[in-house]
Amino acid sequence: MEVQKEAQRIMTLSVWKMYHSRMQRGGLRLHRSLQLSLIMRSARELYLSAKVEALDLEASSPPAACPDPRLHPPREAEVPAASAPPDGEPPSPEPMDTQEEEEEAPPRAAETLARYSPRPTRVSRKRRSSSLSDGVDAGLVPSKKARLEEQDGAEDASSEVPDRLMPPPAQAEGAFPNLARVLQRSFSGLLSRGPVAAPTAPPARDAKPACRPADPMLSVLVRAVVAF
Amino acid sequence: MTSSGGATGIGRHFEKGKKKKKIPPRRRRRRRQRRLRPELSARRGASGRARSAGQAPSRATAMAGAGGGGCPAGGNDFQWCFSQVKGAVDEDVAEADIISTVEFNYSGDLLATGDKGGRVVIFQREQENKSRPHSRGEYNVYSTFQSHEPEFDYLKSLEIEEKINKIRWLPQQNAAHFLLSTNDKTIKLWKISERDKRAEGYNLKDEDGRLRDPFRITALRVPILKPMDLMVEASPRRIFANAHMYHISSISVNSDHETYLSADDLRINLWHLEITDRSFNIVDIKPANMEELTEVITAAAFHPHQCNVFVYSSSKGTIWLCDMRSSALCDRHSKFFEEPEDPSSRSFFSEIISFISDVKFSHSGRYMMTRDYLSVKVWDLNMENRPVETHQVHEYLRSKLCSLYENDCIFDKFECCWNGSDSAIMTGSYNNFFRMFDRNTRRDVTLEASRENSKPRASLKPRKVCTGGKRKKDEISVDSLDFNKKILHTAWHPVENIIAVAATNNLYIFQDKIN
Repeated sequence: MEVQKEAQRIMTLSVWKMYHSRMQRGGLRLHRSLQLSLIMRSARELYLSAKVEALDLEASSPPAACPDPRLHPPREAEVPAASAPPDGEPPSPEPMDTQEEEEEAPPRAAETLARYSPRPTRVSRKRRSSSLSDGVDAGLVPSKKARLEEQDGAEDASSEVPDRLMPPPAQAEGAFPNLARVLQRSFSGLLSRGPVAAPTAPPARDAKPACRPADPMLSVLVRAVVAF
Repeated sequence: MTSSGGATGIGRHFEKGKKKKKIPPRRRRRRRQRRLRPELSARRGASGRARSAGQAPSRATAMAGAGGGGCPAGGNDFQWCFSQVKGAVDEDVAEADIISTVEFNYSGDLLATGDKGGRVVIFQREQENKSRPHSRGEYNVYSTFQSHEPEFDYLKSLEIEEKINKIRWLPQQNAAHFLLSTNDKTIKLWKISERDKRAEGYNLKDEDGRLRDPFRITALRVPILKPMDLMVEASPRRIFANAHMYHISSISVNSDHETYLSADDLRINLWHLEITDRSFNIVDIKPANMEELTEVITAAAFHPHQCNVFVYSSSKGTIWLCDMRSSALCDRHSKFFEEPEDPSSRSFFSEIISFISDVKFSHSGRYMMTRDYLSVKVWDLNMENRPVETHQVHEYLRSKLCSLYENDCIFDKFECCWNGSDSAIMTGSYNNFFRMFDRNTRRDVTLEASRENSKPRASLKPRKVCTGGKRKKDEISVDSLDFNKKILHTAWHPVENIIAVAATNNLYIFQDKIN
């Protein structure tokens, strides 16, 4: 849980930094934007992997259950069923795919929902939209949550299942436990200070207003990429 | 006008555009004498380094020994002592006064700094004082000028900062000095020259420059040159603009003395120093689809002797060496330097901290040095698969990367430099600390640029950062480091043991104590 929170905090921080670098004198720096998107991608992967792990534990899955759901038999069986291209998540995602995915997520998610709504254990390849659809993470991407609710009210109820089965990014394999350990270690100090600290705690004074409008921020990210 | 350190702001004496500076008469003779002495040979051969006539021969010999023969005298065995500090003492630092680059010229007699306000300040080394034979010349302000002004790109609706990103001196060819300075978009070639004569006796103008009444001109006369107070003027000779879509990160003058390169995030251009309306694109890593972008160019440099060879580094920690003879567009590299990543040290931020912030060839041209966020590496140009040396600059920050990301320090671009004999290297850190590594003895030292110990000739005490366990006396804990005080830019005199260290708005000059 701690890892998850920290990853979420880093994601928010990255978005905030991206938003602010747009207003920086001299314009956006390509190198900085690239670094920020890399961090955001890593944090997202970590966050999602941690979430999968946590859910697996909660569900008290059989001892054979692997924290990596890609090795889960059901998941293997369902991959061909999914209509999305099998390499929806490229093996080495480009730094800008974060924005791209955010941009494209809602329509693709809707398509998936429409096609697989009768199936309780459908696999959503739209990790971002599905994983963020439950209330806990709504703060990150509120707009995505709202859209999903409009489209399918039952989505929330069944959202946990896709989450569990959601494939973690290919890159995280092997590196994930290590990453988690490292993060846990480095964050333990911060967390012990205030475990219930706001997920968005950038050091600057104007942090609050910057973190509220998540939707403009995301569109900024998209524009940031387009700008180059 | 010539401040000798102390509490004078280094960027305070500037005028926009052409700058003329009066020099007191008592210094004139000295300067004229200096001009008469044989000029320093600008081109440095592979075998040895030209030495200015004014330097003490014994010191230079000692340095040569330190570099070549594995003599114990190296980076660590220097007794660094305080020499000068330039810049205001105020706690309240104006953004425009923050130094953004430091560079010695080829002889080491001139030291240029650029700041975020677009100004260039040039310091000149005073000649040695005969009454104090052991004291070496101090650096005093020689010329100050506004190199770049803030501009606005109306097409992109973006402001172009005036901050000087890099300064590079050209090898000296005549009495004047030339340097290139660049901000994010525009490179300028400046000429810094002295003038101590002026023409008098024009036919149409009187002494004050006013037009004479034509009816009162009764005879023609030939203007004559008359001596006057020495003036130093800086004039822009060439402006190289509109060739970079992204921000220029580095410039490097070629050893052919005719061309130079400029690198932005995705492209490297080759210019002729005389031609401003065209440049040749020699590297282009821009993907057709920008969403496929995975890395950017972070630094580039020409080889010091082979005019066809240059290197550039990437944000992924790799270095490409290219030969311009192979093709006009150096798509394919000749050599590719990369160290395989150690999976055990892989962490959340490892992709971020591996970006190379600076690459510098050794004076000999055999090695190059790269600086990433936590370490500095020395590569042999003949070995591509790993560096020959890796020196940890501030390894204790590895556990603090998350905080450093929060306060944006993780994006800091530290530079590095070689000493004159390539036997020692120097780079900066936080808390106004800078590090020196002796390549022969493999020893390192942490020094601090601070006003507290800034008594003349006071020795610098090595500092230690506590890296876990119990903090010993005189050690400073990692948590109490001040990350706002960072030393990003340092320069080492090309021949002697004199270093210039830029700490925010102050420029510190240290030198090796003479035994």
